[in-house]
Amino acid sequence: MSVIQPLFRLLCVLSLATSGSGLHGRNKTVSHEYCVLGAGPAGLQMGYFLSRSQRDYIILERNTGPGSFFNIYPRHRKLISINKIYTGRRNKEFNLRHDWNSLLSDRPDLLFQRISRELYPNADDFPRYLSMFEKELGLKVKYGADIGRIQASEFYGNRGYILSDQNGVNYQCSVLLVSTGLWVPQQVDFLGSDLVEGYESIPTDPEEFKEQAVLILGKGNSAFETAQSILGRASRIHLYSPSPVRLAWQTHYVGDLRAVNNELLDTYQLKSLDGLVEGRLEDIAIVRRGKNGGKRRTAKKRSQTSTKGKEPLYLTLTELLDDQNGKNISEVTGQNLPGYHTDNFSLRQPYDRVIRCLGFHFNFSIFDGSARPPQSSGARGRLPGVTAWYEGRGTPNMFVLGTAAHSRDYRMSAGGFVHGFRYTVRAVHKILEQRYHNIAWPATILPISQLQSWILKRVNEASGPYQMFGVLGDIILLRGSYCEYLEEFPLQALPQLSALSGRPLSDHGLLVLVMQYGLNRTDTLGPGRAESEWTKAWRSNFLHPVLYYYNTLPTEKDMRQRPVGWPLPRPEAIHHMVEDFLTEWDQPISHSQPLRRFLEHCLQTDLRAFYAESCFLLSLTSRTPPLFCRQGYLRKQGIVGNSQLWQHAREAGLMADH
Amino acid sequence: MSIVYLVAFLFGLTAEQCSSELIEDSSQSFMERMNTGKTSFVYFGNHVNPTIELFMEQLERSADALEDYGISVVKVNCSKDPIANYCTGEKLMTKAHLFRGSEVLRSFDIDTVFDVNAIVSHVLFSVLFNEVRYVHTPAELLRVENAAKQNSDIVVGHIPVLGLPEHRALMEAAFVYGTKYQFVQTTGSLVLRHMGVVDSSSSQARLWFLHCKGVSRQSDPCPSIPMRKPLKTINIHSFLQLMEAPLVTEAVVDPSEVDVVHIHLSVPVLYLFSQPQTQHLDRATAQTLALQLHGEAGVVLIHRDSPNVKTPLKYNAAYRLPQEDVKYFTLNSAEEVMKLFKEELVQEHKIEDEEGDEEHWSDLDILDDEVSESVYRDRDHMQDLESVTELTSDTFQSTVTQNDITVVLFYFKWDAVCMAFIQSYIEVADALEGVSGVELAAVDCGEWTDICGDQNVTSFPTVMIYRPMAAAQPYRGMLGTKSLHSFILLSLVSSPSHLSSSAEVMSFLEGDLYNKHVYLSAVRVLGLFSSTQDTGVTSFVEAARLLRGETILGLFAHKEAEQWVEGLSVNLPALLVSHGPGVPYKVYSIPSSSSPTDHVSLIKHVELDHFPELTVENLPWYLELGKPLLLLFIRKEDSTESNKSLAEIKRPLSSGQLDSFLPCWIHLGRTPVGRSILEKYLGFVPPLPALVISKLRTGGEVFLFPPERPLMAKNILQWIYDVEHGQEQPAGLIPDGKRGPPVPFFDFLAIMDQEAPTYATQRGPKMKNGGRESNREQKHEAPNQKQTPHPSPNPQAPRQHSEL
Repeated sequence: MSVIQPLFRLLCVLSLATSGSGLHGRNKTVSHEYCVLGAGPAGLQMGYFLSRSQRDYIILERNTGPGSFFNIYPRHRKLISINKIYTGRRNKEFNLRHDWNSLLSDRPDLLFQRISRELYPNADDFPRYLSMFEKELGLKVKYGADIGRIQASEFYGNRGYILSDQNGVNYQCSVLLVSTGLWVPQQVDFLGSDLVEGYESIPTDPEEFKEQAVLILGKGNSAFETAQSILGRASRIHLYSPSPVRLAWQTHYVGDLRAVNNELLDTYQLKSLDGLVEGRLEDIAIVRRGKNGGKRRTAKKRSQTSTKGKEPLYLTLTELLDDQNGKNISEVTGQNLPGYHTDNFSLRQPYDRVIRCLGFHFNFSIFDGSARPPQSSGARGRLPGVTAWYEGRGTPNMFVLGTAAHSRDYRMSAGGFVHGFRYTVRAVHKILEQRYHNIAWPATILPISQLQSWILKRVNEASGPYQMFGVLGDIILLRGSYCEYLEEFPLQALPQLSALSGRPLSDHGLLVLVMQYGLNRTDTLGPGRAESEWTKAWRSNFLHPVLYYYNTLPTEKDMRQRPVGWPLPRPEAIHHMVEDFLTEWDQPISHSQPLRRFLEHCLQTDLRAFYAESCFLLSLTSRTPPLFCRQGYLRKQGIVGNSQLWQHAREAGLMADH
Repeated sequence: MSIVYLVAFLFGLTAEQCSSELIEDSSQSFMERMNTGKTSFVYFGNHVNPTIELFMEQLERSADALEDYGISVVKVNCSKDPIANYCTGEKLMTKAHLFRGSEVLRSFDIDTVFDVNAIVSHVLFSVLFNEVRYVHTPAELLRVENAAKQNSDIVVGHIPVLGLPEHRALMEAAFVYGTKYQFVQTTGSLVLRHMGVVDSSSSQARLWFLHCKGVSRQSDPCPSIPMRKPLKTINIHSFLQLMEAPLVTEAVVDPSEVDVVHIHLSVPVLYLFSQPQTQHLDRATAQTLALQLHGEAGVVLIHRDSPNVKTPLKYNAAYRLPQEDVKYFTLNSAEEVMKLFKEELVQEHKIEDEEGDEEHWSDLDILDDEVSESVYRDRDHMQDLESVTELTSDTFQSTVTQNDITVVLFYFKWDAVCMAFIQSYIEVADALEGVSGVELAAVDCGEWTDICGDQNVTSFPTVMIYRPMAAAQPYRGMLGTKSLHSFILLSLVSSPSHLSSSAEVMSFLEGDLYNKHVYLSAVRVLGLFSSTQDTGVTSFVEAARLLRGETILGLFAHKEAEQWVEGLSVNLPALLVSHGPGVPYKVYSIPSSSSPTDHVSLIKHVELDHFPELTVENLPWYLELGKPLLLLFIRKEDSTESNKSLAEIKRPLSSGQLDSFLPCWIHLGRTPVGRSILEKYLGFVPPLPALVISKLRTGGEVFLFPPERPLMAKNILQWIYDVEHGQEQPAGLIPDGKRGPPVPFFDFLAIMDQEAPTYATQRGPKMKNGGRESNREQKHEAPNQKQTPHPSPNPQAPRQHSEL
């Protein structure tokens, strides 16, 4: 879209005009084609792609360095993103499947392993890595620009955005890329929430918790991480939240409780004084028991026991605090506590500390009315709602990147994490290139006879679809004797494929390659969890490749009504490649041949390979030799073989004997 | 009993004995042997290599087998006893001869008689040449049948592949039973169709018994019974016994006492009880049933009037399956017994079918791709990559700039086509070891995906040629040892050769310069320009660079260049093409303002032979011309007949009378697959040399030059005229049709729909979020109710989540 360029010139002229007027010297205006908000991993990742395609961009960061979130979080400084350096392989693409911290670039050495060789690295290493990434690639980051307000503005019918920083500088941006992450602590309003400490500010020295009873609100990784750090000091740790704990190794969702943080499950199940409880957060109250509230028979020892230290905290329920008139009572007595009514109420004992570990939410407050994206329907509205191509709903030309864009695959895939969103950022960049610069989504042109090996290559090394399983998939546009292979397209945007990618569809249809976990209906560690029979591949539980074949592009409606749990609508034909223990899908009988037969069905042609001699025979005795002969042998690139191989083929009865 | 004896004899034939019967002859004993008039199979050799060693082993084994037929197997060591005529000549070592007395009945390539089965079958076939009839067509078979009617029965064996155990079994049977039956051997698929075999593509050997002896009238056909068991000596024997056995045996004892040949041959027997009053009717019923069950079951008619028959009256029939006891039953109609019997038999079939069904599923696990399967069968065989340098990201750049030529193969380990080719690649590397300036290297793209990406390799396998300071050149030739080897060697030849005098041109075309590379290619292409200033020179030089490795090119840009086109209706600049010394040059003018790619296509075009021998390697270049083929097939052995017919086609070539065709030929020795082409075209292999017209691109008809007509230029032209004017009937048709998937689709969607009905169905318009999870709203329990911490047994993910 070349509209953008003249628009820019206009903006520049305008900004010159305003700054030239000199009356409001502080009200400087700067224009950029792309403004990236936030120099975290997603912002820098987008910066890299914009810089590589030589776009006019700026990354705005309020702090003095990149990735400042990681200067504080995780509080106990252990990253739980896997940094597996030794994979036994030298394939750079494959190794990214097991490197969850690096950003994507064309520098083979710009990997996180240069900074840390720990499997679970120290959190301080991450900002160091980001800083190295930014410097070595020479990304344009403006530090210390604290954007407090974002307004939408129209220029000749095109929506742009004006960002104002703390010094009154205005940034005029045709395209705004919001990568501010999630950093506002999530709070739940209940009586006594002021008595609760937050994950963001608790002390991290375990000694501070010595002999204390601790109630943690939340059952995610931050809650467990906190519990784990004080396990040896606290007397009793209870975790309270609405949902039962979800284990990442059962759900395959890395946001769920990771085994590296789950020591408390042990102490709970081995009855070592810790425990998990489910209940609504909105219904509870945290109270101190009033000094005069209980009836005391002896008041003698009072001064000895409780003057020192804080008063203990009790968990109770709001409904117990209401008096007859529905008003909150002023003094809490024993009757206001659940233990008074149910003698074995599990949380009847008081706590020394209550800690809130409820995660973070997106900072909506800097967006002015029409520039504000709506709250997502999922994830308790903590995230901005975005389209399948990560554009804010109702905020054209504003895209959301990184963790904040997780509403698309919340609790499904890895879009909220570095190892996932580095790929969605790349996908968004390709969409930007098409929409604003008319550069179509890159595609590899392959003769159909090469399609199978290209699919196997991707299946065996591609990291994008592997990390962003069920979200990003490879698209193969069939064009008769050849095809166009598009990598890592956002699957939910499939109905808009042509517009977003700039690649029209032919009437030969398309294939979509997706990595998926399976039904997961069996015990994750129990018998029958793994499937090895390729004819039952659709029952595979572990991550495995799935191919969908469509005659025509699915519509929005098809997409909405797709089968439950599926990433895509019901296709014309489907092929599951059976899960593999080693994630090597390259065996002739279980993987290659079934794949070939599926492709043969979709393309309605024989895709077998033939030696030159067979092609010779078939070319002279048939007017339509097989595709392999037409695209190989008849183009003078036949596979000759040798007598030993021919002998094998003859013994198998596959090659004519003369 | 004679049966037992025969079985023993036949077993004796096949069993190998320990002591060797192989005789080694000196010149004297050989001379004596020649005079005895006995049959002997003789191999003359002078040294032993691994191939010969294997052959000797097989020869030794055949000596034991052939001894039973009175045929001696002899070897002669030529280095000790040089026997005239046999111990000399090229064919020594690769031939074995069958003698009757001093007369050579037949000579065999040791490739043909590769193992004991092949030796026995071929030797017996030669010895029985007069007894066993060899037929190609149904008509020939009918002639044999007519001759045999009322005389003898016929045994027809269809042997798709000669020299295999089935062939041996048939020949051994022919040796034993040859005087009793007329034996017929056939290989053609036409006869197969004539015998009622629908699927003639299968390569299974088959056998039929034709009851010609009992035919009452000459015009009646001989009833034929197929043998259902595999073609093995023992099965043929018992089948022939069955054919000989009377249709119905009559007995006067209980079924368990009746001794019929069927029991010995493990064939089911049906017993029918006959009452004296209905004897004629019963006999007729038995006859009918026996005819229907012929070859599959025996029928015995037991007369109840004998006191020896104690079977209760309520039963009127019984049957006995092999290795089982007699089972009695009551029979109401002939159809019923047929049904029962067929069912019993069918049951067997059923079991087989079920197995077949299972096989059908496991069939899915059988590789049906010849390249994949052959590579898979070779999986135990470790590839020795020693002579090929395996490149990595660290070594790639330095390696490809180090040598004059670095050849790099880009491959995937899991790709069968790549792994099939890598064997050839290693062969080339081994052959080129020691050639300086050339290095063969390989990049495993499964590991070094970055290199393969950087080099823009999207097709596998790919071979690239790297030279220092030059762009990489993709290898576009056949992916085989021979082609790649000569390409690399040719790549080392400077291209073009800059020639500075007519003498050098002469040397380039047939002198020293020519001889230097004669082993690589016989073709020379020379660019003739009047001066180096000619604008075409740069294009030609660029084209020569592009054609490095493919064609030997010379450049003569000189005022003397004119001499080379003198007297020809061609002006400079021109291309002169030589197909070797002695072959007249051809000259073509180069259109002005030709680009390098124009030059390339012109050179590629003029290089083509006008009467090529089609080979597996060169066919694509000629098929590109899109002309109908005038194709001569000549036999393996070089013969004057073949040479003569080649010359006859060459004659009208120069006059341009064959211009609408591509005249070409196939040598069945060098290109054995040519035989299959003939079979596909015509359904049989006609006598050679055979000339066909194949309209591959237009209509697909195949015409066969009538074998009885002499292959003379005049006749050929007349025949072509007739073909062109629709006067000739096509002898075959080349199929044209979409080439669909070779196996039925394994439909996962259908299986899902069956096994998990709602799993793969689209949601209705109203269903939201699928409702897979029951609404698990966490209600807080009232304070007077117990609240217990409940561990969650269900890992199923609820939608709400408080943590990130």
